[in-house]
Amino acid sequence: MFNTIDQYLEALKNEMQGSDSALLSDALADAREHLSIALAVVREKNADVNEADALKTIIEEYGTPEETASAYQEVERRTSPSLKQTAKPQSWFVRFFGVYADARAWGALLYMLIAFVTGVFYFTWAVTGLSLSISFAIFIFGLPFSLLFLLSVRGLALLEGRLVEALLGVRMPRRPLFSHQGMKWFDRLKALLTDKATWLMLVYMFFQFVLGTVYFVLLVTVLSFLLSLIVVPFLQGFLHEPLVNLNGARYFIPAWSYPLFVLGGFLLWTIFMNTARGVGQLHGRFAKWMLVSE
Amino acid sequence: MVDISLATKKFQKEMNAGTTSLVLLNVLSRSAEPMYGYQIAKLLEENGPDLPLTKQGTLYPVLRSLEENGLLSSMVEPSVSGPPRRYYTITPEGREALKEWLEIWKQTKKFVDTILKG
Repeated sequence: MFNTIDQYLEALKNEMQGSDSALLSDALADAREHLSIALAVVREKNADVNEADALKTIIEEYGTPEETASAYQEVERRTSPSLKQTAKPQSWFVRFFGVYADARAWGALLYMLIAFVTGVFYFTWAVTGLSLSISFAIFIFGLPFSLLFLLSVRGLALLEGRLVEALLGVRMPRRPLFSHQGMKWFDRLKALLTDKATWLMLVYMFFQFVLGTVYFVLLVTVLSFLLSLIVVPFLQGFLHEPLVNLNGARYFIPAWSYPLFVLGGFLLWTIFMNTARGVGQLHGRFAKWMLVSE
Repeated sequence: MVDISLATKKFQKEMNAGTTSLVLLNVLSRSAEPMYGYQIAKLLEENGPDLPLTKQGTLYPVLRSLEENGLLSSMVEPSVSGPPRRYYTITPEGREALKEWLEIWKQTKKFVDTILKG
């Protein structure tokens, strides 16, 4: 009935239409993992086994797409929302200062730093690839070139998705769901060109340049400002360096304000961590919207 | 007409609903190493009854939901051949829960056996 694993996944996807996209991607990932391991095991024992025959027995044990889909939906229905909402509502104080223990906040900070580098790279890649593709179009090798470029865009988008999931904690696809395996290259190019997802990914690459720069500037500015707030009392207390040195006129801050400076620095840092977490969540949603085609 | 096979299927499903979680938690509590889905399915197949009670595919959503409730933890590791594998380990909370679940299972079993024997 199913000749390849991809056919099974396709059927499973159809069967789970209307389910939450995260649940669907879990189901597809699990099925792909299980079926390919099982197939590899069969092949190890008997190298020249027919894939379709082997899959028949494997799927008999694994379950039909209908059975698998209903198992996921059943478990999802049973677990949510009663068990998911066990997290107690916390006071704003705990939430505000608990940000230091939140991996998502630290991840968002790291992402803001990395987004600058990746953003510049994406932008350069997209502009170069796009302009070369257009100008090469008059040559015979123009079409294969644009195919390679569009494939690289899809690849980079997948990579960006992994980065977003790792650092921002937003679920993103783990691997390209639909390969164009077995298609002629011209059909592949046509499929890529007419796929809305390709263009959204390209637009995302341009956006990332602007966003990455903004994130980076914001991060560096706030970080240097609040670090100086914390360090100024120490510099003045131990090294007798003034807060401001203007043409030899040295301005010191009074000793009683030392704790205030340090406290202000930490408070600002906490606020910034909270902001970063929020920005990270927003960016994650944006990335999901742009990079995951439904 | 009442479709008995459909009712039996439904009964089987309801029976499996809780026992699968118990079995999976127990398997992982005995394993010294993290295990991935296929390994667990094979282990159950080797030790299980001749007629498998559940499809292997139904184990995965239960693993995921156990993880979501903090009873298991998992990590994805790339494999040399094929897609990456998700390895599951039992958490301390999972061991706590397993103790209580085994107690519930013992009592349920005793109760049902007693009633069935009449």
